[in-house]
Amino acid sequence: MHVSPSDQSSGPSVSIDSASEAGPSSLLLDKLGRSNGLTNGNSFTASMTNGSTKCSLMGNGVPKHSSIARVSLPGTTLYEDPHVDREEFVRLVIQSLRDVGYTESAATLEVESGYSLEAPEVSEFRQYILSAEWQKAEAVLPRLVADDDSLWEALFLIGKQKYLELLEARKITAALQVLRERLAPLSANSSEQLHALSSLIMCSDAQELRRRALWDGASAASRKALLTDLQEFIPSATMIPQRRFATLLTQARHYQRERCTYHNAPMNPTSFSLFCDHYCDKEDFPRVTTTILHAHTDEVWNVAWSHNGLRLASASKDKTAIIWRIAPDSHPRDRECVVEFILRDHPYPVGALAWSLDDSILLTSADNLILLWDTKSGKCIATLDSHMETVSVLMWLPDGSGFMSASLDRKVVTWEASGKQVDEWPGVPIRVTDMAVTPDMKRLVVIGMDYQPTGPSSEGLPPWGVTRESPPASGIAAGSNAPSSSENCIVIYDFKTKAAEQSITTEGELTSVKISGDSRFALVNHAPDAIHLVDLNDGHMARKFTGQRQRQHVIRSCFGGVDGNFVVSGSEDRNVYVWHRDTGVLLEVLSGHGNGSVNCVAWNPQNERMFASCSDDCTVRIWEPLPLPSETSVSVPPSITDVTMNGKGKGRVYSSWDDGSADGEAQS
Amino acid sequence: MGMKYRRYLAGERIYGCSKCKTHLATIHSMISRAFNGQHGRAYLFEGVVNVVEGEPSDRLMTTGNHTVRDIYCVKCATILGWKYDRAYEASQRYKEGKYILERNLLVDVQ
Repeated sequence: MHVSPSDQSSGPSVSIDSASEAGPSSLLLDKLGRSNGLTNGNSFTASMTNGSTKCSLMGNGVPKHSSIARVSLPGTTLYEDPHVDREEFVRLVIQSLRDVGYTESAATLEVESGYSLEAPEVSEFRQYILSAEWQKAEAVLPRLVADDDSLWEALFLIGKQKYLELLEARKITAALQVLRERLAPLSANSSEQLHALSSLIMCSDAQELRRRALWDGASAASRKALLTDLQEFIPSATMIPQRRFATLLTQARHYQRERCTYHNAPMNPTSFSLFCDHYCDKEDFPRVTTTILHAHTDEVWNVAWSHNGLRLASASKDKTAIIWRIAPDSHPRDRECVVEFILRDHPYPVGALAWSLDDSILLTSADNLILLWDTKSGKCIATLDSHMETVSVLMWLPDGSGFMSASLDRKVVTWEASGKQVDEWPGVPIRVTDMAVTPDMKRLVVIGMDYQPTGPSSEGLPPWGVTRESPPASGIAAGSNAPSSSENCIVIYDFKTKAAEQSITTEGELTSVKISGDSRFALVNHAPDAIHLVDLNDGHMARKFTGQRQRQHVIRSCFGGVDGNFVVSGSEDRNVYVWHRDTGVLLEVLSGHGNGSVNCVAWNPQNERMFASCSDDCTVRIWEPLPLPSETSVSVPPSITDVTMNGKGKGRVYSSWDDGSADGEAQS
Repeated sequence: MGMKYRRYLAGERIYGCSKCKTHLATIHSMISRAFNGQHGRAYLFEGVVNVVEGEPSDRLMTTGNHTVRDIYCVKCATILGWKYDRAYEASQRYKEGKYILERNLLVDVQ
């Protein structure tokens, strides 16, 4: 809105009346004028804001700043760009200046621009709400709202606040009066809400009232919250939403973050400057092998980081698991990566791995056995043999209460940390190949094969005993292929009740499931050649990641990077695949592993710039950004050349950064 | 080459490894019971699961020369029989790509 546009004839330049009377504002302006508007570093703003706030809030500031001439500009837009309205922009600047305490500058700007932040009655209205002067607020309201409907709604909100505050103060009679005389007529078409409000009279004390009304009390933020709610009924041009500029900047930041394909930096002022668009350099992404861990004598099938990110467990077909110590040195050249323990005594190849929350116990599986290992001594603490078939997954519970196991024998079992069985999930309809619990512990996602829906007639029977219709003879394919009749399934359970919420059957084999940090999505490897991101709320596929090869082996994937921005997976074509999670764009195809499959990948939980992969080539690779060139020997050829090993199996830094990229291979 | 879970068969009659009970074949994929192995009677199957195939070698059998591979249980590595890669006699060609399991090394499982 315009402030008395009296000086239309003055040109587009600032003219400062040097003969103005002495006072805080002219002092400021004097200085402003002399320093050509360079206000950064002025030290006197803090002492000047007091006292002048009220003045500039209540009035238009014109009388006080008569020394400043209004600048008249042609047109109504900020620049040539027709999208930014100058008045809106200036009013947001005024709002921001006021918010941080530069009230003199704000007042000056109001005068110079001829725009004011808001009409005096808006400031008054805000003040009335915050100081609970309800009648005055209600009196101003008709001048602010757009129509009668909005007025009724706004009046109802104010009445409700008044009612709750009276109840809180135990002024029951007055509260009842508000309910009867103010709220009842206003809520003619929503008796439900009125009913809920009236039932609050039964609350025995203020605490119960606040809890039942989901309201935090007169002395807390409820009046500010009321202002935010009232905003909906008052045109934003009349009452600008609070901190509107900051909201727009936040949106710009989110937009830039979404467009940053290699985004792997935390949200902070260092990585997000207002002066330039945010951008994460591809070179800072972990796409180079910095260490190769040699010690296994056969295919490596699984890898898992300890929670502190300093140890890595690997599981191999060679019937051992290895605990590696990955020293925390930031530069790979200085970092020592050594075998801490080789966990032998597995009678079969090792499949599953799981670190306890404090990293003191590592669980491993070998066929139907579960082994518990003390990670300080490398000694086996216990062997559990209650599963009848291959144990495919071991998982500690996020609340530290114990762990869970699942197996191809259609059993999902909960255990205490000591290895004592707690319970068994009833009627699991699949041979479980993997499972994961959501971080909020609301759901358990179980994937597997040979789906046998358990009808009401078979309830109570062990699923093992339920006979299945014979498949046609052609169902048995030649060689080692799966019977084509076998159905694969994702079952989503309510974790507390153990009731199945959803069962999603699929054609292809499912080999890996991980849950996103927000507990909303499951990342599921799905043969052939796809990874699905499943929305756990509706069971629909939200995104599909393709490019990697998965036909017949157990290939695992995971989320990684800051906020789990990336999806990374092994593949049967020797490569590691990396996608942008939110767009599904393939970012990297990382080569380096030898013949066979890359079976599993795991992102370091403490270092968003490091992940590990394991392969049929008997090795584990650590992937990181390209080390700083000044600190590496550039003469190393781009192949496995500098891998020094000792008897204990020690991986060393080597260089392969010019053969590991997938430039130009990204697909949308 | 990569990790694989063992396959589980469904049907009226399932043959498994006598040592570790791993599922191998169903009666539906059986072609003939009229074969002999090293341990006596053997069965010819259209397809089997959960076996590892060894290197090919030529063997002279009662029905002529054949290229065969020994097949091992994927879990316990017991030699269970063999697979026919090639039959030199034209009349024996029907066995190519099929599997022999020795009856004495099988058990019924469910």
